[in-house]
Amino acid sequence: MDPSLREDLLEAICLLTRDSQRSPGIREIASALDKPEGEIQSGVTTLAADGDVIYENDGTVTLTATGQELGKRVAKKHETLQCFLSEILGMDRSSASDEACVLEHAVSDDTINRIGTYMQSPPRRWSRGQGAEGHDTSPLPALTDFNEGDNLIVSGILGRERASRLLDLGVVPGERVRIKRKLANHALVVQIKGCDVALSPEVAASICVERSG
Amino acid sequence: MRFALIGNPGVGKSTIFNQLTGLGVEVNRYPGTAVALETGNVCYKKEKFEVINLPGIYSLDGNTDEEVLVRDFLLKGDADALIAVLDAPRLERNLYLLLQVSEFELPMIMIVNKMDEAERLGLSLDIGRLSGQLGVDVIGVAALQGRNVDRIVPAALGTARPATVRTPYDHHIEAALTSLEKTLSTPRHKNLLALQGMSQDPLLIDTAGSIAREIEQRHRMSVHQIIATNRHNYARTLASDVVAIGESKRSFDVDSLLTRTMPGIPILVATLGFMLLSVFVIGSWMERIIVSAFTNGVITPFASLGLPPLATQVGLSLLVALQAGLGIAFPFVFTFYVGLSLLEDSGYMTRAAFLADRAMHRIGLHGEAIIPMVIGFGCTVPAVMSVRILKTRREQTIAAFLITMVPCSARTVVIAGIVAAFVGILWAFSIYLIVFVLIVVSALFLSRITPGEQFGMIVEMTPLRCPQARLVLAKSWLRIKEFLFIAMPVLVITSIALGLFQYFGIIDAFQAIVEPLTTSLLGLPAYASTALLFGIFRKELAFETLAVLAGTADLGSVMNGVQLYTFAIISVLFVPCVSTIAVLYRNLGARIAVLASLYSLGLGIFIGALINFLMK
Ligand SMILES: Nc1nc2c(ncn2[C@@H]2O[C@H](COP(=O)(O)OP(=O)(O)OP(=O)(O)O)[C@@H](O)[C@H]2O)c(=O)[nH]1
Ligand SMILES: [Mg+2]
Repeated sequence: MDPSLREDLLEAICLLTRDSQRSPGIREIASALDKPEGEIQSGVTTLAADGDVIYENDGTVTLTATGQELGKRVAKKHETLQCFLSEILGMDRSSASDEACVLEHAVSDDTINRIGTYMQSPPRRWSRGQGAEGHDTSPLPALTDFNEGDNLIVSGILGRERASRLLDLGVVPGERVRIKRKLANHALVVQIKGCDVALSPEVAASICVERSG
Repeated sequence: MRFALIGNPGVGKSTIFNQLTGLGVEVNRYPGTAVALETGNVCYKKEKFEVINLPGIYSLDGNTDEEVLVRDFLLKGDADALIAVLDAPRLERNLYLLLQVSEFELPMIMIVNKMDEAERLGLSLDIGRLSGQLGVDVIGVAALQGRNVDRIVPAALGTARPATVRTPYDHHIEAALTSLEKTLSTPRHKNLLALQGMSQDPLLIDTAGSIAREIEQRHRMSVHQIIATNRHNYARTLASDVVAIGESKRSFDVDSLLTRTMPGIPILVATLGFMLLSVFVIGSWMERIIVSAFTNGVITPFASLGLPPLATQVGLSLLVALQAGLGIAFPFVFTFYVGLSLLEDSGYMTRAAFLADRAMHRIGLHGEAIIPMVIGFGCTVPAVMSVRILKTRREQTIAAFLITMVPCSARTVVIAGIVAAFVGILWAFSIYLIVFVLIVVSALFLSRITPGEQFGMIVEMTPLRCPQARLVLAKSWLRIKEFLFIAMPVLVITSIALGLFQYFGIIDAFQAIVEPLTTSLLGLPAYASTALLFGIFRKELAFETLAVLAGTADLGSVMNGVQLYTFAIISVLFVPCVSTIAVLYRNLGARIAVLASLYSLGLGIFIGALINFLMK
């Protein structure tokens, strides 16, 4: 049996069992995976023979200890990847989920752990500008790194205190901005959502941007 | 019936409010804040309705005084219908606030104002479609031309209803909202606020808080940020559906001159200089007229009534206080307010703030602080009132301290009347120079010791346009009323107190006690201390009292140059006037009022003693 089908099945059964607090039947698994019942039926039979699940007489499927463990691991990989793709890389949620469905079978446990740690501990970009060390090591350019006339896309704001008024004015991730004026001290006028906004240098330095295409 | 106008700053709420209500506008200060609510009446079909002009805000989720006030107003459901005002050329940004307002489920109608400007920019808005999307009545208005303003009240009366539009939030947020609604049965808008840490309900804030932490862990973004992003995205979807962009009539971009260092800075200096100069010229001319009219028309007749001495003393003190109030308020403060409103309404003030940001940074402030500082040259009281535009307590404190040192028009009278007249014009300028150096030094010192974080400037640049005389006058009038409301009682009370002190000989006793200090430390005649004391009441009174006590208007004949110079610099620096102390107390609390007074008292005496010591 195809190993990725095996993982998909175990993951689906694991999630279904967790959500509904009872063992699912073939039909539920088939609809969760969006696959024909026949294929699921034969897959489950194989899994039962391998000792990953117990195929009960009433038609429900229960995970054994080994099946449970593998299923959980795949489910966690999926969640971590989806979160990474959507929150850190900014993909939209449904394509992040689809992509995660494919990647989860190939990715190693080590990679997943590293991605997990990356998302747990505050990455360097969040501390940038607040301490001296972060300054030139930051991988993300700020508004102040660009020039008059540049068209940019906001990728994040550092520091929560300041963020509030910026958020109100529309400086949110994904928004387009254009630098209309830049003074020698890096005070800026940017155009955002059709309005001109004047920013102090330290505020401008806290807005991470990318060049728009 | 009560209507409330709500919307972003600068969308034209006041323009509409003034057209609806006409005269008889009242301003109510909200307890505990410096924010004012304007209330007026409108007549329609022989019935009277109340209209409230809420302060302009960008969001209902923030913690500035204005935002808190408007949010509380909505939570209390204090209006029968909301009139949401949006700016047609900036529809998308304005819809962000509208989406928040909709969540409160209050009956409302919506106005898209500045349709004329949108047309000029080549934007066409599908009002009918917008109305369908939002589920409320929408009226396209051009308030400046009066277009469709007459439709506002009938619509608010007839068709106000809660908007049906709802922002689709991220599924974690939606799940949290549903679960809060199920478990605590609190409404959606309260749950949304609670998720962002704003709620009075301890159970709700607790539950919402733990959910919010979970969401933030997952998203690595604050709930506030997620919600804001969702709203902006939805606002964009809505706006892109109703706004069609066409050909715009291009005009010359004046900002290419105003916001560059060259020639922006020279223009800034010239504009501010011109404004101060004209306020001073117009002000002193008007003051002379008012003061002499008051003296001849009221004070002299009163003094010749021949009442018992105590009554005469009290009565005169009262009249002098009124004279002082009127003599400062109308000539200087009102003229200043007109100039200020012109700068604000033309949109120039935001350019000035942008250019001044750099200099202000050096002294621990940022660009917006230029506004209170400039006002300070006119009168300290409104300047202190305006520090609330600065966002942090730290900046407000620093700015308030510095403003009390800026030479206001009354202090300019002292410098001109004593130093320029008897010592020399260059010496008069040297006082400004000394004060300026002291301000910078104090600023550097204060920015080191004042606790709190510095917050940069984030200012929306309002479009440049020609200010409307009616709005400028209405705004200045409201402000002057506020000024009189604060300053008048203080002036009257202090004046009467000083009068009584004088009557019972307390002033002489004071003069005797501080005499060693006055004569040896400062090298001034003993009566100078009394003159300085009167200066606390009103700065130019120091000069006038000195002349009275010296027994001659020719001060040069009784005091030498060093003495006059020392006296002038002390009265300029030392203790802000009582009205300033009152407004400091009102806006920043007793601690700052006391500290600022003591600081300037100490500084005045120190510099005075230093000059006396060096130049003797
Ligand atoms: N072109 C155009 N300009 C307008 C219109 N209505 C108002 N304005 C201008 O918009 C500017 C702001 O108007 P206000 O009425 O002061 O705005 P507001 O909403 O009270 O602003 P805040 O008090 O700061 O919240 C003024 O300079 C008006 O001249 C309009 O219909 N068309
Ligand atoms: Mg207004």
